[in-house]
Amino acid sequence: MKPSWRYYVTGFLVLMAFDTLSQLCFKLAALHAAPFAADGPWLLRVAREPWVYGAIAGYLGAFVTYMGLLRHAPVGPVFAASHLNVVSVLLVSAWLLHERLSLPQSVGAVLIVFGILVLARTERGNDAAAR
Amino acid sequence: MSLNPFLAWLAVLVFDTCGQLAFKSAAHHAEGDGLAHWRAMAARPWLWLGIVAFVVEFIAWLAFLSLVPLAEAVLLATLNMVTVMLGGRLLFDEKLTPRRMAGVLLIASGVILVGLG
Repeated sequence: MKPSWRYYVTGFLVLMAFDTLSQLCFKLAALHAAPFAADGPWLLRVAREPWVYGAIAGYLGAFVTYMGLLRHAPVGPVFAASHLNVVSVLLVSAWLLHERLSLPQSVGAVLIVFGILVLARTERGNDAAAR
Repeated sequence: MSLNPFLAWLAVLVFDTCGQLAFKSAAHHAEGDGLAHWRAMAARPWLWLGIVAFVVEFIAWLAFLSLVPLAEAVLLATLNMVTVMLGGRLLFDEKLTPRRMAGVLLIASGVILVGLG
């Protein structure tokens, strides 16, 4: 049985949501455990930070969604879906964390997104030949 | 980027790439289906190497995020697509088609722009 396009769109959005949630939790954990030092006390502060466990939960959710998508969908679009979370993380970091990119950085972000789309297309087309 | 964020970024890239290549190696060399496949993978070091690499990467990623904004961090981390692809070329003889090279170049130049700020 071939899943409908709704299956893919929903899967794509769920994957993005899990990834974005995970990265947001990571950043909040890092902020709360600050200041960073490459030592044991910092690691202990991180381990006591509830946000870290949100990040792990987000990872697990993303992993399960990713595997579910891979089962039916071609690898190219799934590859794109799993990397285009960059876009949603950028939106969330601007909205909730009030981060701003400089103009050259925004140009860089656009180039990166194009690069991901190009790679996703190649993975779809000649995947069997390229492996 | 100054020195400490740069080192954290390097650690993220190295351990992410090693982890992904180790997992690929684990899946590549193990025979069988289903449970037998997992047994075969667990009997070799690759799977475990990959898990250790991802645990270290997890910590390096937290360190990196302590030093740079989230938006910059996720953009800079996309270079892992380039390093994993090059690793796949070296270790598994995966082909670098012109299209893949184009994608790699776009991502690499984007990462340079973001890194320079």
